[in-house]
Amino acid sequence: MADRTDKLLLVGDNPFHNISHLSQDRTKLRDRSVVDPSYAAGLVMTSLDNGANGFMFSVSETTLSILERVRNAERIEDLSLFAIVPYAYEYVRLAAQTGGIVGLAKVFSKQLASSGSFRAIASGASGLLGANPVSLLKTYLAYEIGRIKSSAGKHAKIESVLLHEIVVDMALALNLDWLFKAYIDFVIKHEYTPGFNTCNFPYLVDKFNGWGIDPAKVIIAAPFNRIGFEMNPSREECERALKGLSEPCLIAISILAAGYLRPDDAMEYIASLPNVKGAAVGVSKEKHARETFRLFNSKF
Amino acid sequence: MVGLGKMGIVHSCTLNVLPNVEIVAVCEKSGMIRRFSKKIFKEVSIVDDVAKLAEFDLDAAFVTTPIPSHFSVTKALYANNVVRNVFVEKTLADNFEQASELTKLASRSEGVNMVGYLRRFYVTFRKARDLLLQKAIGTPSSFGGYAYSADFCDGRGVSEALVSRGGILRDLGCYAIDLSLWFFGELHLSQVKTSTRGDQSDSVKFEVEGSNGLVGYLEASPFMPDYRMPEIGFLIKGSEGEIVVNDDRVELRPVEGKGSTWYRHDLDDRVPFCLGLPEYYREDALFVDSVMKKQAAEPDFGMAARVDDLIGQIEQGGRNG
Repeated sequence: MADRTDKLLLVGDNPFHNISHLSQDRTKLRDRSVVDPSYAAGLVMTSLDNGANGFMFSVSETTLSILERVRNAERIEDLSLFAIVPYAYEYVRLAAQTGGIVGLAKVFSKQLASSGSFRAIASGASGLLGANPVSLLKTYLAYEIGRIKSSAGKHAKIESVLLHEIVVDMALALNLDWLFKAYIDFVIKHEYTPGFNTCNFPYLVDKFNGWGIDPAKVIIAAPFNRIGFEMNPSREECERALKGLSEPCLIAISILAAGYLRPDDAMEYIASLPNVKGAAVGVSKEKHARETFRLFNSKF
Repeated sequence: MVGLGKMGIVHSCTLNVLPNVEIVAVCEKSGMIRRFSKKIFKEVSIVDDVAKLAEFDLDAAFVTTPIPSHFSVTKALYANNVVRNVFVEKTLADNFEQASELTKLASRSEGVNMVGYLRRFYVTFRKARDLLLQKAIGTPSSFGGYAYSADFCDGRGVSEALVSRGGILRDLGCYAIDLSLWFFGELHLSQVKTSTRGDQSDSVKFEVEGSNGLVGYLEASPFMPDYRMPEIGFLIKGSEGEIVVNDDRVELRPVEGKGSTWYRHDLDDRVPFCLGLPEYYREDALFVDSVMKKQAAEPDFGMAARVDDLIGQIEQGGRNG
């Protein structure tokens, strides 16, 4: 097993969902085996053997299947889990197929009902009837955490539950400080670290400071890379906000700028930044997994 | 904001971070969404009827209801003197007659009007248009375009949902049509082919003709399994080379000399606030800026009506076999 370091070196799940932020063309050229949960679980374990110490994933049927396989291989305890909810793509697609947000609410209600959790059903119904967003959020989070535990098993180390960028950035735009605070309270109560995935890192840090939320007490997953790809409003602003943090809380994502940068170039930049708690990187081949995490482990 | 579905939420959030913008009122038909909206938009009035928006002295309205209701909602906004500046999500209307009437109403109002053809705000399509304007491939002679998604590949909810979104052409194909008109100017329909799956069209293919002998071929389908994300793309051939462009990249292949490829990474794709896609910010910022400066915004209702016109002709052509 790889040596533990202070830094988090996380396997990202984008390739397992066949996502490339460079271009969709690229996903068509990829070997399709990467979306097979057994193959993907093998990649996660190879990454572990070469320096990775965690897995950052959107909670979906694919990633839950991967966790099941890692558990069956008795490696789940080696893995710190950073779960992102919701798997926005699936919900957006469901909304498209079911005629919008009301249709989506109906589908989710059915999913909740079939979960068999009386508490979740009662809380969800109460949230819907009372039009209570916080109650619904808590119901939803409990449902997703239940799914992770069910697949990863009771020995799994869920370190953090992160809100997906779509939810975070919408809530930021609408100044929903009460939603962030309710989320943080709920996640801390379950003894996980609250996390936030955002495409607007400086905006989030500024808002959190204004709302009395200490950014250093949470995990923030945001794009950081040498060419400033997806770093809004600019690389310089993101770096300035990062420097202003009191403690490391950033998990850098998109560090390879979706495959645009070479891993050694990418790592050199990330290693030069202050307040970086870790980085997540996706791998789609055994060779990538070995080389990338060895390099990161040595340089980070 | 009229209609608080997915696009209504996206525009509300984007507008809320723009300087000089305040969301004053939301109009929404669904009681459940209205109840939740009151909790989320605490300082915003929530109403259930467009006419009730007249009391708020609004500067601008966004129409983000399902396509079949764009006409009645937008017409009501003008008829009730709710507002002079109107943004309507694509497509402008459900048919050309309605789109023409809205264009006339907008013209009479003397306000700013715009339609949400988001692809015009993608850095890749902007780059491609710049290359065309610079004659980087000489005179275009032909193009092939597509609008693909995997939205309905699993067969779930095809008929009802697709109809509520205006069908294949209004849901997705309209982007390729709008970009074609933006790139090449006037186009005329020459041939239509559709294929069906059960009682539902699963793809629409059609050919168009432009000026100087330009011919184009376009296809739209939401049943393409390789397109996890909806994608629009073109191959444009000219007298001096080719341009390949889609949501992610632009490639220039000149007949002589070295070609170039630009990804989003190379085209300064950042914005002050990004909600899912940077284009939403650019689009809404342009509309707001146009309203502030009282100047025309593009694409306006007149341009969008041309898309509705072509879609109507394609649908008619498809029905006539």
